[in-house]
Amino acid sequence: MSQWLNGVIERAQGVDDWLSPIRQQALAQLSQQSWPGRRTEAWRYTSLHPIADAQWAQSEPADAAVSTEQRQALSIEGLETIDIWFVDGQLQTDISQITLPSGLTMQSFAQADDQARAAAAQVFTQVKPPKHLFGLVNDVLANNGVIIDVAADAAVNTPVRIINLCSDGVESHNRVLVRLGERAQACVIEHGAGDGASLNTAYAEYQLGRDAKLEHYRFALHAKQAIHVGGCHFNMGESSRLNSTLVGYGSQLSRIDVDIQHTEQHAFAKFNNIYLLAEGEHFDLHSSIEHIVPNGTTEENARGIVGDNAKAVFNGRIHIHRDAQKTLAELNNRNLLLSRRGQINTKPELEIYADDVQCAHGATVAEIDDEALYYMLSRGIERSQALVMLNFGFIQELVDQMPNAALREWLQPKLQQRFAGMEVA
Amino acid sequence: MLTIKDLRASVEGKEILKGLNLDIKPGEVHAIMGPNGAGKSTLGYVLSGRDGYEVSGGQVELNGENVLEMEVEERAQAGLFLAFQYPVEIPGVSNMEFMKESVNAVRKERGEESLSAAEFLKKAKEACKQVNLPLDFLKRGVNEGFSGGEKKRNEIMQMILLEPSICILDESDSGLDVDALQVVANGVNSQRDGKRSFIVVTHYQRLLDYIEPDFVHILADGKIVKSGDASLAKEVEKTGYAWLSKAEEAGA
Repeated sequence: MSQWLNGVIERAQGVDDWLSPIRQQALAQLSQQSWPGRRTEAWRYTSLHPIADAQWAQSEPADAAVSTEQRQALSIEGLETIDIWFVDGQLQTDISQITLPSGLTMQSFAQADDQARAAAAQVFTQVKPPKHLFGLVNDVLANNGVIIDVAADAAVNTPVRIINLCSDGVESHNRVLVRLGERAQACVIEHGAGDGASLNTAYAEYQLGRDAKLEHYRFALHAKQAIHVGGCHFNMGESSRLNSTLVGYGSQLSRIDVDIQHTEQHAFAKFNNIYLLAEGEHFDLHSSIEHIVPNGTTEENARGIVGDNAKAVFNGRIHIHRDAQKTLAELNNRNLLLSRRGQINTKPELEIYADDVQCAHGATVAEIDDEALYYMLSRGIERSQALVMLNFGFIQELVDQMPNAALREWLQPKLQQRFAGMEVA
Repeated sequence: MLTIKDLRASVEGKEILKGLNLDIKPGEVHAIMGPNGAGKSTLGYVLSGRDGYEVSGGQVELNGENVLEMEVEERAQAGLFLAFQYPVEIPGVSNMEFMKESVNAVRKERGEESLSAAEFLKKAKEACKQVNLPLDFLKRGVNEGFSGGEKKRNEIMQMILLEPSICILDESDSGLDVDALQVVANGVNSQRDGKRSFIVVTHYQRLLDYIEPDFVHILADGKIVKSGDASLAKEVEKTGYAWLSKAEEAGA
């Protein structure tokens, strides 16, 4: 056991709201969990030592508005969004004051009316599997959250951006619940950032109705000292479509779990993941794709660049159940090591119980391509610039696949700049 | 403009160039022919500064500057261009971005202003047409999925855009059909302005029907063993390289 987890269970007793009946179930599950160690498969390459017996200040409801500097630092030029701000897990946006496009309903946990509560009940802990330890922690402690409900046939063009800002020394937990009705369309951006040594868990659950279409981004751009554990979980309705891009910086400890469940037929899920780890950073992505029914499609591409003494963990599981015939599933993980002291643990995991499926997986770890570098230098391109062009090209392909042009233009120089600052050793 | 004196170079401890001499004046075209393994490609790599090609002796001067002390990119910026025998594929970097970056790097060294995106696009389109490549090749990844001939034409396009003072063409004819060969040769000929010099490395005389050399040198076992005018290439075409080993035997 860890002192921190004991503290979580203790504090969970004090959380009392309309979600409490569900929280109680999660608490019962959490109480039975043992603290993961090196022998726990899900945490084999990521040590929880920085959390185990540590203490942070608990986040308190605060009136402090988001500062202008914070707003500017996290603004995305050229992109109009509906912004919801969480600072240290506390909702700072008065959602009731926002004029929402027709078909879009948003409510905070605190102010949820009966309709929102009914929507939440279909999503909260219904999409995220209970196997994630920190997901259960979030279940019992996240009393700040937002419920997003997109009505059937509504096409919401303006992206909803959920900003999750974490401050030095503070522990926080927040939750996002999204339900897309039949044929509904929406774009949701989860934008995490922060300074200093914080601990944050952020989980988001997405329930996609029949023929619904979700464009999704998760930017986990936390500071080096931050500890961030979270997840995105999707349940695919019949013929629904998901296009998701996850971009992660490493930190002291950064871990994201992604689950995509094909529970209805003919759904299409595309999931791209980019990680860019500077010196000494750690990033761990576990994705788990469940094809439970026939005729589902999943395309997953994870690509990362790992700097000096940094460590990336990628575990990509595709589980094709016995009835899931005609599944098309592809999983690819490519890594680039900038230094002999960098480390990557990549593990594609395919479990197939149906006999008529098309499935492919692969994982590669490469170093700097000396031949391509020489070719570029021989054309007069400066070495530092050639390295950016060459290795960023590998990431660029996934940036280019992001459907939103303004996001591409915002992200690309950001990632390029980060990469340019990484030493090749 | 380019003077090579007693150049010696080795790869993985094995000496490949064993005292090579060459003096190239502005505007001249020098063809270097020779059997496989003579060191033809090594010469291009050594001149361009490729890692793993160890220079153990000799001097190379380009317009009075010591080439051997320069980094790979500095040599290119100083006006040296190598058209690769096997151009490298770089998926994820567009041809356009690649060439714009290189042209502006070279211009910067020459003290010229960077070209704007529009200015560069105009030049790139012209060069693209000149080597008979469809314009969408500018948008594609560098050499990505190009055929052998398309890669060679892409090299010539880069040469046209970079305006180097010395161009080394490493077997730019290999794997080309006659039409592609003509395109490559026309590209090269269009750049012959009386000042720019060329080293045309080839195994066969064929390319020299289209690019007429001022001098032909035979490279064998790391040295120039015979030099002459264009007629030497024709002679080689008839007799092959077998006489080389005979000459060696006779010499020994």
